[in-house]
Amino acid sequence: MPRWGMVIDLDRCIGCEACVVACQAENNVPINTEDVYHQRRAIAWIRVERYWEGEYPNIKARYIPVPCMQCTNAPCEPVCPVYATYHTTEGINMQVYNRCIGTRYCAVNCHWHVRFFNFWEPKWPDSLKNQLNPDVTVRSRGVMEKCNFCVHRIVKAEQKAKVEKRALRTDEVTTACAQACPTNAIVFGDLDDPNSAVSKLLAQAEQEGRVYRLLEDLGTDPKVYYLKKIDVAAAAEPAATH
Amino acid sequence: MRYARLLVFVLVVLVIMAIPLALVLARSYFLSPTAQPVKAQPIQFPHQVHVQAIGLDCTYCHRNATTSAQATLPPIELCMQCHKIIPAQGRPELEKLVSAFEQNQPILWNKVHQLPDHSHFVHSVHLSFGFQCSTCHGNVGAMGKPGVQQVRDLRMGDCITCHQQNGARVDCSVCHY
Ligand code: SF4
Repeated sequence: MPRWGMVIDLDRCIGCEACVVACQAENNVPINTEDVYHQRRAIAWIRVERYWEGEYPNIKARYIPVPCMQCTNAPCEPVCPVYATYHTTEGINMQVYNRCIGTRYCAVNCHWHVRFFNFWEPKWPDSLKNQLNPDVTVRSRGVMEKCNFCVHRIVKAEQKAKVEKRALRTDEVTTACAQACPTNAIVFGDLDDPNSAVSKLLAQAEQEGRVYRLLEDLGTDPKVYYLKKIDVAAAAEPAATH
Repeated sequence: MRYARLLVFVLVVLVIMAIPLALVLARSYFLSPTAQPVKAQPIQFPHQVHVQAIGLDCTYCHRNATTSAQATLPPIELCMQCHKIIPAQGRPELEKLVSAFEQNQPILWNKVHQLPDHSHFVHSVHLSFGFQCSTCHGNVGAMGKPGVQQVRDLRMGDCITCHQQNGARVDCSVCHY
């Protein structure tokens, strides 16, 4: 049984937001307009957080793509009164749309702000109606939704493997964001498989001391790992100037 | 006679309580997909003739059942491979087929087997584990005109029971995503 996880190398991320667009298209996420954004009701299963480091003119832009952390001890799960969010046997924190009754407790209990509520019926312009992904349910008004590591791709690959009577191959599936990233900053795969790209990358980065997770100290054991930025200039600076 | 009034009262209460229960059961019975009348189709296609008389395999027409999620309906060209040499004159259903082909119009079949909303069913996996089409669809080969009837409930309880009996996964994410 695989244990799906993701590694995001912040040294590679250039903040292009290709991952956001790919996710939006793959998962039938409705298009966010400006007013929706200002109401803080925009839906983005993965977002790129941008912040500045340093003072002008020595200023640096930093980017952190934030999908659902897929916590092993997910705080969103025990608060759901109807078990609409639960853990699959493969360690994915799933959202069952037809079970959700829209209490939004899970979103309240998520520290990473990666759960989104459908305040309206999702709408697309007519020209985009035919591009909806048939493998993904279009969520209706009143249900929660979130990144689920493109579970439809995983299910599809597993079914293909079953039909061909074989086990799932290493790195056979990848998520839409990882596939779209032009710099390969996002890597997806089986954390328990020592030959998978994520495991190798993690093992190597562990030695360099670059691995961390967002809000790791909460003890939820997220399965999205970040590799910190290698800042050549900062490393060269004497520590006393900080 | 001392308890007569009490007895009547209890009986009345029981009857009143039974009404909603009966309504719920009746609703689930009459709304069950198997209780629906046979759907009208644009062409009254007799499976019986094609399967029993001619001996075609289900997958001869529903070609993608073994390889993909959808069993798929055949394009009209597949029908015409045989029907171009079968005379259609005087047979109204066949004339509809030929005229649709000549006008390059698809046939808008009505979907017969209804799954509950928000569930993803994959034909290929079920067939690769050795299940027959008839396990869920019944003996379609014996169904003639006017069309096919859904014979199995195919609601979630039905799916789960079968999955449990056969040791398949019953995770929500197997079907709902
Ligand atoms: S696609 Fe890759 S480089 Fe672009 S923002 Fe996303 S993670 Fe960063």
